[in-house]
Amino acid sequence: MRWFCAILLAAAQPALAANTLVAAHVPVAVARSPMTVTPDCEWNRMGARPGRRSESWTIDGDGLNEVTFYGGIEPDRTLFREVDKHSKPLPRFSRTMLLTDIPALFESSYRIALNTPVMTIETIASARFLGEKGVAFTYTYARVDEEVRRRGDGVAAIVDGRLFMITFDAPAIFFYDRDAPAYRAIIAKAAIAR
Amino acid sequence: MPLRLCTLRCACILLVILPQVAWAQERTGTKPGFVLPPRSATILLIRPTISVGAQSTGGMFEPDADWTAQARENIAAALTLAQTRLGNQVIVADEPVGPAAQVMAEYRALFSVLADSVMRYQFFAGNRLPSKKRKGQFDWTMGPGVAEVARGTRANYALFVSNQDQFGSTGRKFLQVFAAMAYVSVKSGEHTGMAGLVDLRTGDLVWLNADMAMGGDVRTPEGAKKRVAQLLEGFPGSAMPASQTVK
Repeated sequence: MRWFCAILLAAAQPALAANTLVAAHVPVAVARSPMTVTPDCEWNRMGARPGRRSESWTIDGDGLNEVTFYGGIEPDRTLFREVDKHSKPLPRFSRTMLLTDIPALFESSYRIALNTPVMTIETIASARFLGEKGVAFTYTYARVDEEVRRRGDGVAAIVDGRLFMITFDAPAIFFYDRDAPAYRAIIAKAAIAR
Repeated sequence: MPLRLCTLRCACILLVILPQVAWAQERTGTKPGFVLPPRSATILLIRPTISVGAQSTGGMFEPDADWTAQARENIAAALTLAQTRLGNQVIVADEPVGPAAQVMAEYRALFSVLADSVMRYQFFAGNRLPSKKRKGQFDWTMGPGVAEVARGTRANYALFVSNQDQFGSTGRKFLQVFAAMAYVSVKSGEHTGMAGLVDLRTGDLVWLNADMAMGGDVRTPEGAKKRVAQLLEGFPGSAMPASQTVK
């Protein structure tokens, strides 16, 4: 009976949380965290959150452009909600991780969460983020059963033992080039209240 | 007490039915101000993206090569008949080779993602993005680079068609019956069809007809004709009747 209930719950249509508008040029706290950003254009905050301490914004839908904020992932926590904890557990952020480990954590989390083998970190470089030493990286991936190549950028820093990160991805055709400047404007004005 | 139980049951039944009603709300959108008079333009028909298979008990899509091949043949025949009634000259895109084939494949895939976003975030009012809510707005594009798929033709517009049919497996149908007993909504089978007209100068999506509950079994010639008629319902400049439009 337990298996039946599990399938039933998984198959039932999920309740949808409302999406809300994020106004341009107004500072806003993100991912239930002390991190604030000031976008230079309108975005939509998605009602569905990818994890407990994260949230996503989009302009045209998460398949076309998506910025995700990770607001202080604690040690021994995952970036996303587990999809299959028993057979495919997500990797966990650890207090012993170095900044250079973060892109690999992100890559393996994406591979499992999206169930895709087509995910590659393309570049890794040092960066300043939230006033701290950080890491910037770029990546490419494709979702399963889809022929759209996607490009992404990410920037992360570890502040007081917690992981703060902002990522952006979009189809390589048109959308990445059009919307990456709006993502970079968000990064440039990201701040953290201490 | 019996009355309260009855009220509870009615509420549960409504909860089961309402999500499906919401999905069926809107299925056509047109860019404000866009009109396509008959005999005014050349439309490039891009080879449709078609995928047919079974839906497993857990809801996963399992493609079936034979069903997909049948559907491709049937839909191609139905489109050949239908294109004469679209009101404008329709030319069928050649299958390119080499790097051009990659470009064509990527734009066909991008169209499916774009149309899926329009369905999820504009047509479905319950999940609409606030920036897409403004009255009369239909602001979607795949960028001016899409003109590449029409290189060497005189086409003004490209017509993209995408279909994915998932037929509920026996296990899925059983699950649906048991779920209904527990007042839980479980869909068995999903038949998504999308047809979109793209302005080749700007890349803007000027018309889209898309639905996650299309009719017609595309594995049969008659079903494919019904599907194509539904896909091209309300096509700009044609005599086909209009369906529900974006408000």
